[in-house]
Amino acid sequence: MSVTDTQMTAAASDTLVSVSNVSKAFRQRGRVVDALHDVSLDIRRGEFVSLLGPSGCGKSTLLRIIGGLHAPTAGTVTVDGMDADSARASKQYGLVPQAPALVPWKTLGQNVRFLSGLHRGGASHAVLDNSEISALLNTVGLGGFERAYPHELSGGMQQRASLVRAFALGAPILLMDEPFAALDEITRSDMRYLLLDLWSNSGATVVFVTHSVSEAAILSDRVVVMAAGPGRIAAEHNIGLDRPRTPEMEDQPEFHEVVRVLRADLRASHTA
Amino acid sequence: MSTSQVRSGGLMRVDPVGALRELDDTGGGSDGPSALGSGPSTLSRVLRFIAPALGIILFLTLWQVSILVFDIKPFELPRPTTILRHINSDKTFYWKNARTTLWEAFLGFTIAFGLAMIGATAMALSRFVERATIPLAVLIQVTPVVAYAPAVEIWFGFGLTSILVDTTLVCFVPFLINGVTGLRSVDPNLIELARSVHASRREVFVRLRLPSALPSLFSAARIAVGLALIGAVLGEFYSGATGGLGWAVSFAQAHNIALQLWGSVYVLALLGATATLLITGLERVVLHWHSSQRE
Repeated sequence: MSVTDTQMTAAASDTLVSVSNVSKAFRQRGRVVDALHDVSLDIRRGEFVSLLGPSGCGKSTLLRIIGGLHAPTAGTVTVDGMDADSARASKQYGLVPQAPALVPWKTLGQNVRFLSGLHRGGASHAVLDNSEISALLNTVGLGGFERAYPHELSGGMQQRASLVRAFALGAPILLMDEPFAALDEITRSDMRYLLLDLWSNSGATVVFVTHSVSEAAILSDRVVVMAAGPGRIAAEHNIGLDRPRTPEMEDQPEFHEVVRVLRADLRASHTA
Repeated sequence: MSTSQVRSGGLMRVDPVGALRELDDTGGGSDGPSALGSGPSTLSRVLRFIAPALGIILFLTLWQVSILVFDIKPFELPRPTTILRHINSDKTFYWKNARTTLWEAFLGFTIAFGLAMIGATAMALSRFVERATIPLAVLIQVTPVVAYAPAVEIWFGFGLTSILVDTTLVCFVPFLINGVTGLRSVDPNLIELARSVHASRREVFVRLRLPSALPSLFSAARIAVGLALIGAVLGEFYSGATGGLGWAVSFAQAHNIALQLWGSVYVLALLGATATLLITGLERVVLHWHSSQRE
């Protein structure tokens, strides 16, 4: 897991998202709650970064600040030289929320193209064309379901559609907020490798919020462990597991070691 | 998951057709196809179809039998068969007056819908407007139209305008309250997704809020159909109408013609039922994606 100096320099020059000294305070029932306190984080182009932590550690808030959906109370977010709002205006983000949140009156085919149709022409990059989107649907096993309505699909199928909808934007940054948290364990495991498949073909940068240690370990290049009260970064780990990741890796000692280290960090930050 | 009770900003409205549908739901639930693909049997499907008709036939039969058993005089209450024969023999009269009332009800219904959508949009966009409007809407709602209809006649005079004002006022509030509820009922995740790609407010409104409001608006429409007929009939009572089923009723009352009174009531009931069925049918087509339409 060691990184040489030259690689460090190369990595630093290829920073896509830069979060500097970001704090966020909410006013809740008259009290001021520090959701995030002085958080700094650089994310490289093409990197898969997980934000891991207990509920209340501000990981979803940080995700939304990166995406320009929330404004920070202090600090800045820079995306490819732009602030987060300008990045949002040029459609740099593909969001995958926890619930599939498909539009119930649109077919699956219309749903995965829905976000591309909003603020049309705003993207500063190429969006996926129809045949590329169909290919994505085939990849995730939804090829025959373009005309189906969301209520006709299982939860797992809906969440796969939600992934495709984000990838269909061709956006350089994908923001995922516990997208598999509501799925059953078996479906969830399949979804992880499906996501890795889509990601490796897209070259996108992923910021992935989760409270599952093993999920963070198997998916990520880097795991950012967060702690609550106030929300902050407690530790960071590069994950040295080989790519492509496979389900078999989850049985190997290297994986267990990563999980052990992350767990220890979570515990330490929790009791501290 | 039925819409028989429409939440409308704190007001609960009972929606008769939704309630019917709920009673109709013989298992299966909203989890898609029922277990092992064993759909309802042919018999239960036939029973489901004839059950509503059976209830009405039973009611009319009881009516008919009671008149014979208790020896009720025709001028007090005619037999259903006599009423139906009378309507059939006076088709032109009833058709002409039905058209008049239907037209008034339709116009009032439509104007109320249009005005309510403008109001609901303003209310959905601003909590302040909503808070300022709701008490007024509730006042309109709870004040019996029978009470203010004479005042409407004083302001707008005899004729169609007064009738339309009555009809519009009674239909307006259900559309307004359900419209606001509907426009606000969008999945917040969808709003956030739209924001994440910098969608404009107009795009969010047209492509997410309006379609999300349709289920509530259909519920409002089913309530408003009955109210529109009440408004139209009442308007005819008070506004010196020279045609329409409301006029036919008051004429029959003044001249003691029980048959014409009951004939008008029957035709009104038929109009209301037909309009409700049309709206429910349209709803089934338009809202095929909504949970209220699943059995």
